[in-house]
Amino acid sequence: MRSTRTAGAALFTILAVLMTGCSASDSSTSAGNGPVRLTFWSALRGTQEVVDEYNRIQDKVRVDYQQVPSGPQGGWAKLSNAARAGNAPDVATMEYPQLPGYAIDGVPRDITDLLPDSARRKILPQALDLTTLAGRTYAVPVDIEPMMFFYRKDVFTKYDIPVPKTWTEFESAARKLKEAQPRSRIASFFTNGSQHMAGFAWQAGGQWFRTSGDAWRISLADAPTRKVAAYWQGLVDQDLVRVEPVDSQQWRAHLQSGETVGYMAGAWAAGSLMNSTPSGKGKWAIAPLPQWDPAKPSLGTQGGSTFAVTKDSNHPKEALEFITWMVTSPDALRAKLSSGISSAFPVVPELVPVARKEMDTSYYSGQDIFGLFQESARLISPRWKWGPRMTSTITSVEDGFAKAGAGSGSIIGALREGERRTLPDLKSLGLSVTTH
Amino acid sequence: MSTVISPGKPGKRTAATAQAASPARLRKAGRRQQILACVTLLAPFTALLIAVFLVPVGYAIGLSLFGEDHKGLGFGGGTTVFTGLRSYLAVLDDPSFLSGFGVIALYVVIFVPVVVAGALALALFLDSGLVRLRRTAQMLLYLPHAVPGIIAAVIWLYLYTPGLSPVIKLLGQADVTVDFLGMHTVLPSIVNIALWSGLGYNMVIFYAALQALPREVIEAARIDGAGGLRTALMVKVPIIKGSVVMVCMFALIGALQLFTEPMLMNQATPMVNSRFTPNMYIYDAAFRRNNYGLASAASVILLIVTCALSYAVTRWTGRRERSAR
Repeated sequence: MRSTRTAGAALFTILAVLMTGCSASDSSTSAGNGPVRLTFWSALRGTQEVVDEYNRIQDKVRVDYQQVPSGPQGGWAKLSNAARAGNAPDVATMEYPQLPGYAIDGVPRDITDLLPDSARRKILPQALDLTTLAGRTYAVPVDIEPMMFFYRKDVFTKYDIPVPKTWTEFESAARKLKEAQPRSRIASFFTNGSQHMAGFAWQAGGQWFRTSGDAWRISLADAPTRKVAAYWQGLVDQDLVRVEPVDSQQWRAHLQSGETVGYMAGAWAAGSLMNSTPSGKGKWAIAPLPQWDPAKPSLGTQGGSTFAVTKDSNHPKEALEFITWMVTSPDALRAKLSSGISSAFPVVPELVPVARKEMDTSYYSGQDIFGLFQESARLISPRWKWGPRMTSTITSVEDGFAKAGAGSGSIIGALREGERRTLPDLKSLGLSVTTH
Repeated sequence: MSTVISPGKPGKRTAATAQAASPARLRKAGRRQQILACVTLLAPFTALLIAVFLVPVGYAIGLSLFGEDHKGLGFGGGTTVFTGLRSYLAVLDDPSFLSGFGVIALYVVIFVPVVVAGALALALFLDSGLVRLRRTAQMLLYLPHAVPGIIAAVIWLYLYTPGLSPVIKLLGQADVTVDFLGMHTVLPSIVNIALWSGLGYNMVIFYAALQALPREVIEAARIDGAGGLRTALMVKVPIIKGSVVMVCMFALIGALQLFTEPMLMNQATPMVNSRFTPNMYIYDAAFRRNNYGLASAASVILLIVTCALSYAVTRWTGRRERSAR
């Protein structure tokens, strides 16, 4: 009997130790009169240079930067778990689609009243709209990425294919290329590209998520999305586009060999292409994304990030000052660009000349790509909203895309299944949801 | 408390007479030792049962009944409130959770017959005395089980991945194209990984059962003119039926908890989605969707299903045995 009691006591001690271990959190508050210390997590390239610059130019605040892995299995889960444990960093990087989910979990702080109007006015309104949820601002956007069409200018010229301005022209261009060069395709349908699909639906006027009053309305298969899905299904079925995952070895190999002569992505991809395919120098060019109706041009985005002050931060004012500096200051942008090529399109129009000056566009035969991005950014439709559990919605849709790519199911079927898989989650969070 | 341990209390000694004291005391001392031994032997098990089973189950049930509740559109964080069965209803309404059980069912249909038949055949073969190097053969067959599941999965993934795999390369040279990670091949590929470790392990169980067979029964069969194969199938197998049922049940429970192999394959092929099996659904709900209530509810449902299935299997085989007698 005594031994059970001893064992019980031992067990209790172990549990107690475990529990205190969990609740012990490192505090970022500094004692005394030293500088305020801020912790900052980001997966963005060139962040170390930006942080070093900030630490150099002032001594009121010390920023401790920690690089986190990007993507759902890396930084996103890390941030959620840290916030749950009450020790999130003061400043965190969030991508647009994930922001509503984080806001629902209470990770970012409501900065509506902290963000000065002077900073607010500098930022492109479409970008700020995406970080303002139900009238409250939860993050400051850094870059906004209108979708563009990247293509092999030399191939288009060689076969005398005009750069498509509409989606109808795009399809005939695809057909013409395949006839001229049977092994080549104009672009790819990305089996892991539900964010690309979202961008296409966004452009066509689709609204996967809407809010009316206090209820979420979800429809991943609304009329505009159905039109877009049917269009891409047609391209896939006629074998006019390649079907492969974006960023895969396969996809890169096809780009390098010239078997794939184009792709659609956010403006950031211009820099990424320069880094990954140096042999393409002088061959590639960028065009605006084809339109459904050239008289009423519209665009969606793909990619882009925001900075948020977390609820756990003890220094929200200093944290927001740091964010504002990162987003609006030319010095911050220059520091970021000093680390390497980036074509991320800044949300602050004043900074576009800085980015343009720093960027060597000889890869694109000297094309004024930032001028092009700027025109495209104006066309970004303001109606789009991301959903409350976007990471999960995106993965669910991609599961279906992969199957559709392997010949089982369809693009629209994948979107419908993605919707079905999203609903139970939202209901269990206590949100009121309707489908429309 | 005191009533429970009263037999061992010294207070009772007054009732014993001087003559009877010695044997009675001895008996009592023996009882006390017995109790002590019982407690000592059971304590580690009980402590572990409480720490790694009962407490987590209780915690999961608690988590599943409480959840974040959000006002309006939900922004700005929620408050933790009692939500009753809301998470359970959401899980049962989720097609991706239910499809996980479909995957498991298919897996069981392929895996269980193959592993049981294979392990049984190997055990009978070793037991038949046909194999010369019995100890070596036994060890070689058991060896894959000693490799941790995750390591085995990594090795297999390497062998399955086009461009890396020497197997695919060799087959390619013989003009055979195989896609181990395709839509219809991915489940057999997972079964294959599980088979390599399962086969040797279950073979040892069957072999041990065969070793315990009374030799006179085998001799009687031989005298009656039964050959090696006939003895194996008609005499040995029916006698070790208990072990066969046990192995089936363990394989079934193991299948319901399928996680490591598909989780790793999820990195390599989109044909294994992030909610492929119920366990992966739970992981996804907790760590990708950040929905602990949903994850706990799914865990509790999986536990209930597992318990119910094990109970059904034991009841069913028990009744069949009874009616057979």
